[in-house]
Amino acid sequence: MAYPHEHPRETRVLSKYFGDKDAIGIDGWIERGGYKALDKAFGMSRDEIIEVVKDSGLRGRGGAGFPAGLKWSFMPKNGDRPNYLACNADESEPGTFKDREIMRWTPHQLIEGIIICSYAINAEHAYIYIRGEFVDVVRVLNGAVVEAYERGYLGKNIRGSGYDLDLTVHLGAGAYIAGEETGLLNSLEGRRAEPRVKPPFPAQRGAFGMPTTVNNVETLAAVPGIVENGADWYRQWGTEKSPGTKLFSCCGHLRRPGNYEVPLDFNLKELVFEICGGPPEGREMLAVIPGGSSVPIMTVDELDCDVSYEGIEAAGSLLGSGGLIAMDDSTCMVHAVRKMVDFYAHESCGQCTNCREGSSWLAKILRRIERGQGREEDIPLLLDISANMAGKTICPLSDSAAVPVVSSIEKFMDEYMAHIRDGSCTAVR
Amino acid sequence: MSDAMHPAIVSAQPSQRAETNPDAPLFEGEYHDRFEKILSRYPNKRAALLPALNLAQELRGWLSPETMARIAELLDLTPAYVRSVASFYTMFATRPVGKYLIQVCAGIGCDLCGAEDVVERLLELTETRLGEASADGKYTVMEVECLGGCGFATMVQVNDQVYEDIKAEDVEGLLKGLD
Amino acid sequence: MDSESTPQINITIDGVELSVPKGTTILDAAERIGVVIPRYCYHPGLSRPAVCRMCLVEVEGAPKPQPSCVQEVQDGMVVRTGNPEARKARRAAIEFLLVNHPLDCPICDAAGQCELQDYAFETGQLSTRNVEPKVVLGRDHVTPDIVYFADRCVLCTRCVRFMDEIAEDPVLQVINRGYKSFIDTMTDEVFEHPFSMNIVDVCPVGALVNENFLFKPRSWDLDQTASVCPGCSQGCNVTLGAKEDKILRAKPRFNPHVNSYWMCDHGRSAVVNWGAGERIEVPMVRDGDRLAPVDWSRALQALTDAMRGKPGTARAIVSAGASNESLFAVRQLMNAAGFEGGEFRVSTGPESVLKGFPKLRLRADRVPNVRGAELLGFQRADDPIANASGHTGTLFILEDELDDAPEGFGGNAALFVYIGSKMNAAARNAAHVILPSPTFAEAEGTFTNYEGRVQRFGQALRAPGLTRPIWMSGSAVLAQLEAGEQLRTAGVAFAALAAESNEYAGMSYENLGQHGAMVASSAAAVP
Repeated sequence: MAYPHEHPRETRVLSKYFGDKDAIGIDGWIERGGYKALDKAFGMSRDEIIEVVKDSGLRGRGGAGFPAGLKWSFMPKNGDRPNYLACNADESEPGTFKDREIMRWTPHQLIEGIIICSYAINAEHAYIYIRGEFVDVVRVLNGAVVEAYERGYLGKNIRGSGYDLDLTVHLGAGAYIAGEETGLLNSLEGRRAEPRVKPPFPAQRGAFGMPTTVNNVETLAAVPGIVENGADWYRQWGTEKSPGTKLFSCCGHLRRPGNYEVPLDFNLKELVFEICGGPPEGREMLAVIPGGSSVPIMTVDELDCDVSYEGIEAAGSLLGSGGLIAMDDSTCMVHAVRKMVDFYAHESCGQCTNCREGSSWLAKILRRIERGQGREEDIPLLLDISANMAGKTICPLSDSAAVPVVSSIEKFMDEYMAHIRDGSCTAVR
Repeated sequence: MSDAMHPAIVSAQPSQRAETNPDAPLFEGEYHDRFEKILSRYPNKRAALLPALNLAQELRGWLSPETMARIAELLDLTPAYVRSVASFYTMFATRPVGKYLIQVCAGIGCDLCGAEDVVERLLELTETRLGEASADGKYTVMEVECLGGCGFATMVQVNDQVYEDIKAEDVEGLLKGLD
Repeated sequence: MDSESTPQINITIDGVELSVPKGTTILDAAERIGVVIPRYCYHPGLSRPAVCRMCLVEVEGAPKPQPSCVQEVQDGMVVRTGNPEARKARRAAIEFLLVNHPLDCPICDAAGQCELQDYAFETGQLSTRNVEPKVVLGRDHVTPDIVYFADRCVLCTRCVRFMDEIAEDPVLQVINRGYKSFIDTMTDEVFEHPFSMNIVDVCPVGALVNENFLFKPRSWDLDQTASVCPGCSQGCNVTLGAKEDKILRAKPRFNPHVNSYWMCDHGRSAVVNWGAGERIEVPMVRDGDRLAPVDWSRALQALTDAMRGKPGTARAIVSAGASNESLFAVRQLMNAAGFEGGEFRVSTGPESVLKGFPKLRLRADRVPNVRGAELLGFQRADDPIANASGHTGTLFILEDELDDAPEGFGGNAALFVYIGSKMNAAARNAAHVILPSPTFAEAEGTFTNYEGRVQRFGQALRAPGLTRPIWMSGSAVLAQLEAGEQLRTAGVAFAALAAESNEYAGMSYENLGQHGAMVASSAAAVP
């Protein structure tokens, strides 16, 4: 399908060829300058590659924002155990759909990034852990992997460099928690995707007990550009702490939903109202979640900030995955929050008491309020359950489940009170 | 499917194909070769479990206790362990499903854009209740968590076919196009 | 065990300064000063998944509470286990567990020995604010004898990890995910394993229950006694639970050298109702062709007189289920008459190893004191009854029930003394003196296990009627014969044994301690 929307105010670096069918195959990709970065990388030392990625300031694009080069530098350099790279293509954060586009329009961009990273961290095998629901993306990706092997970009002695790398596309089977890096590693090992206690960290004991780096698709896709053009090139965009560009997956009540790439100092309000066109005709924007359902809900007057990690944090939310969800005044906030909490309750792996019991408890209370059977004491109860779920578990899914509850009670109390007082709803139909 | 035959490719079609055989042997012929290939891509047998279950479900349509026990045998795992892993993941069907497994995204992005209406229309036209197979065994309608296509709401997946931008009025045409 | 090369770390817990080896967790460090942090998933014999979130404590400088079961101590760390933040975290975990818990204590076997109850009382979190309908999951057999009540389960996964890590047979697993999780084996199956009952022990609540014990006594009605399992020669340390003079259960007691935290299923069922049934309750002396019940002084006088009459050298059939003290007493009596030889028979069965702790096995010898009997000069034989059949001198029987003895057995003996707990035809027809003897649960004593470890066991039940241990009654006879000392307690009896034996040299009840000690030849063999 043709790519839905382009906007002149975008800065299309990663997404330059979205919508360009000829960019998908390896020939078209090479024509467009693909795999040049890889050749350059083979002329550099491993440490040099790690340095340039570090200097670029590239931060993990899956949601945590951890500096990528720093993460790579944790890998043992002269170990006696094999190193691994796991590419996190499990994109499951509600509101996020950028990695699927990177993989189905420019799979070789990702593969090139994977090879460069694997070379830099001296991995002998790279896995792309891709969610099993991405059926169409898997088809395209498999095709690209076959092409890469056949042209000597994967396998033995890649491009005459002496470096061997095997790549396996590994399908997930429907578990959001497999997107958490240690949950992913457990799933790769043929286990339940239950997150692990850290320490030890993946760079010490990762896949199969071996040193492993886990990076998001968008992070790895940014690597060829950085290696080819240098750290300063990457830093021409964004801020000091948040350099580069990012794909924002914009969905919900927008005139023009879709993926948009902007530098990380772009204004969030302009992203929503100008690039995405704001809410549909005749509606008013009610709330925006900038980075996937795990980050706090923002009111419209909070949106005037940079989309950088520090900018959104200062405005009271988080950049997260950049999965932007827009809600206009036809939204019942109680319903929306209930749907989000339902998601976490369903996806909780169940290990930690607080998350397993708390998430489903929150969901049940919200359903009751939504049905018009809420009580005034449910509000402090929801807040206390949320407090009991935050900061007490192995992984942050528990915290994430509580986030929409806390931020919606804080900012949209009137919606809750309407349901509780007389079962009515403030949504404009 | 040439990609499926490449030594590096351990998955060709994801599971839930329309033509399945609950008694298909695990594994013979082409599927035996694909199973061996799966084993070659991982450093131990346990790690081959997810792709192996996927392969078995592709063949048999769902993962019966007998199927899980057989996979356990092939990978030197206990049947209880295989059951534990299979039951953890939503895409592994531990109950028989209809010929067409229709999955509608229940994520917040699609919910804001009418997903509930799409589900309602699907249940109405297939004459099923959520998660149950229709009387003729043709359809099962399920709500699944965010399918990662939020900008193309509502996302619907039928077996290995993806449908984007589905509204309630598109449902009838979608169902007709399945056969 | 602190090794000299492990660096020591200085920390403060609840205001108390202490120094522990590097690598110690906060939870283990706290136990050293008597602070027991509540926990479910932690078990000292298993791995530490840190999932229950009960053990969260405040560590100064850390942004969130830390799980003390896995957090290792750092130099200068300041930990608070009982401050408001730690308490709130603990109460939160309990409240969450109670949300879907059926609170069926009145009909739950775990009541009184339940860590959910204990911590609820300890923290004051006795209920929840939940008004939503509870998730109901039901119950199911996981083994033929063990029932799993899914609604009570707190998903600590101790049972899963026991089967995986210690039994090395991962047949118990968590099924589903999130709030729908429960524990089960393969669909519609049960499993069998010779050590399966340990999962009932490790379960902190009433989710896994031994069906044979279901709805029997309340745990607080049981008298608990430290003992040693008599089921085989492994010598697992156990705690016997008794009520109204019946043994109702055995649970393992920790001994790192013998059985760790575990024991086998065979031993558990073996002790139940041990010694129940028709018992010999009074001493008896032959008067013509009848046996006259007498008091102890007359019985012992009769025995003394008979032995003074020099009836001839002594043979014996003993039991390898008798204590060292009892066997010693019989040996002394035999020496007084002239020791000819003594034998015992051993019932055997297949050996089962606990793979994750392979020192622990259900041993082939299904009696506890084979080594002890051998060290006292008795020999294993296939058919001691046949070997002793025609004996004409003194014949001692100690705790062998002679159930298959041929008619007329013992009839040739000049003096036939039967020391046992149950009557049988041979004793009734031919014994001259019958002395009622207690079972292992009815008197203190020691066993020497397969490896040569001498271990004490306590008295769990009152001995019925006038039953007295043979080391007490027999030594009275020896004292009369001026062939020994009167031994009034088991400890004194053991000391007398140790004085006569190189193997037990220097041992006493006091210095046997909690974990026993090795006899000399075995201690030399162990590196």
